[in-house]
Amino acid sequence: MELEEMQTIWSQMSDQIEKQKKLTDKMIMMMTQEKYRKKLNRIAYPEMAGAVICFGAAILIVINLDKLDNWYTLVSGVLSLATLIVLPVLSLRFINRMRKINIAANNYKETLLEYAKIKKQFQSATKAGYYLGFILMFVILPVTTKILNGKDLFAETHSIWPIIIAIPVAIVFFVVFSRWVYRSYNNNINSAESLIKELEETN
Amino acid sequence: MGKEQEFTRIIKDHEGVIFKITTIYTNNHEDQKDLYQEIVYQLWKAYDSFKGDSKISTWMYRVALNTAITRLKKEKRKENQIGIDKIITREIEQYDTEFEERLKVLYAHIHGLNELEKGLMLLLLEGKKYEEIAVITGLSPSNVGTRISRIKQKLKTQIVKK
Repeated sequence: MELEEMQTIWSQMSDQIEKQKKLTDKMIMMMTQEKYRKKLNRIAYPEMAGAVICFGAAILIVINLDKLDNWYTLVSGVLSLATLIVLPVLSLRFINRMRKINIAANNYKETLLEYAKIKKQFQSATKAGYYLGFILMFVILPVTTKILNGKDLFAETHSIWPIIIAIPVAIVFFVVFSRWVYRSYNNNINSAESLIKELEETN
Repeated sequence: MGKEQEFTRIIKDHEGVIFKITTIYTNNHEDQKDLYQEIVYQLWKAYDSFKGDSKISTWMYRVALNTAITRLKKEKRKENQIGIDKIITREIEQYDTEFEERLKVLYAHIHGLNELEKGLMLLLLEGKKYEEIAVITGLSPSNVGTRISRIKQKLKTQIVKK
C-alpha cells in the first residue's frame, strides 16, 4: 500500500469517526476522576502484591532469626532475606520511575527515550529476578523448615536418595526455565536498546 | 466559560483524534478503552499547565502520544488483534466490507512500525506539516522528512514481503 493510498483511507475513516461522535460532558468528566481508573496499571498491581508477600516473608525471617542456630541455615536465611527485599524494591522503583515521566512537558522523543531506557532496565532486572527467584526456591527451604517446623533439613535427612533425585531434576528444570526467561525477555530488551540507539542518534 | 466546560468542549472537538491514537497503540478492545480513559485523565491533569504557547491540538497530540507510549501494560506474547470492523466504524449498519479490508491492511502496516515511526506516521496521516510534527515529536523538521522517507521505504519493503 502506497502512502498516498493510506492517506486517502485514513481521511475517509476520519470522516466516518467524526460523524459518530458520542461522548457526553458527563462521560468526559467521569474519565477525569481517579476512581474510574481502577482497571489501569495492571502491571503495577501484581508487582505490588508480590512486594507485600516478599516483605511479609522477610519480616517472618527477621523475627525468627534467632531460630537459625547454625551457620548454613543462617547463611540461607540472610540470602533469602536479601533476595526478598532487593527484588520487590527494584521492580517498585522502576514502576515509580515510569510514573514520574513528565507527560505534559516532554515531547514525544524525550518521553520515548526515557521510557525505553527504564523499560530496558526493568526488563533486565526482571530477567535477573527470575534467576534470583530460582536460587531463592532452594535457599528458603532450610530456612522455612527450621522456622516453621523447628527441623534442621540437613542434619535430620538421613537418606541421600532425595538429594540424588532432586539435583538432576533441578538442573533440567533450570535449563528449561533459563531458556524460557531468555526468550521472553531478550526480544524486549533488544528492541528497547535499538530504539534508544536510534533516538540518541537523532537530532 | 468554566474550566470544566472548556475542557469538555476541547475533548469533544478532538474525540476522534484520541480514538485514532488508541487504535494505533493498543491491540484489543479492553486496552483501547483503558488508554482512551487514561488519555482524557492525563489531559485533564495537564490542562492547567497548558499556557497557549502552542496550538491546543499540538498540545493534545503531545500529551496523548506520551500517554500512549508510557502506559504501564503487561507484555503479552500474542495479543488479540483489534477487530478493525468493530473499532473503526463504531456503528454496525455503516459497515463497508471492502473499506474495512483496506483499513485492516493499513493498520497491519502501521502495527509493523516501531514506536517512533508509529507516532510520525499517525501525525503524517492526520495531515500535519513537518514543522508541526517536529514541535510534537521534538525532532528537527529535516529529520522528520528523512524519517518519513525511511518509513515510505519500509512500507514498500513490507509490501514486497507480503
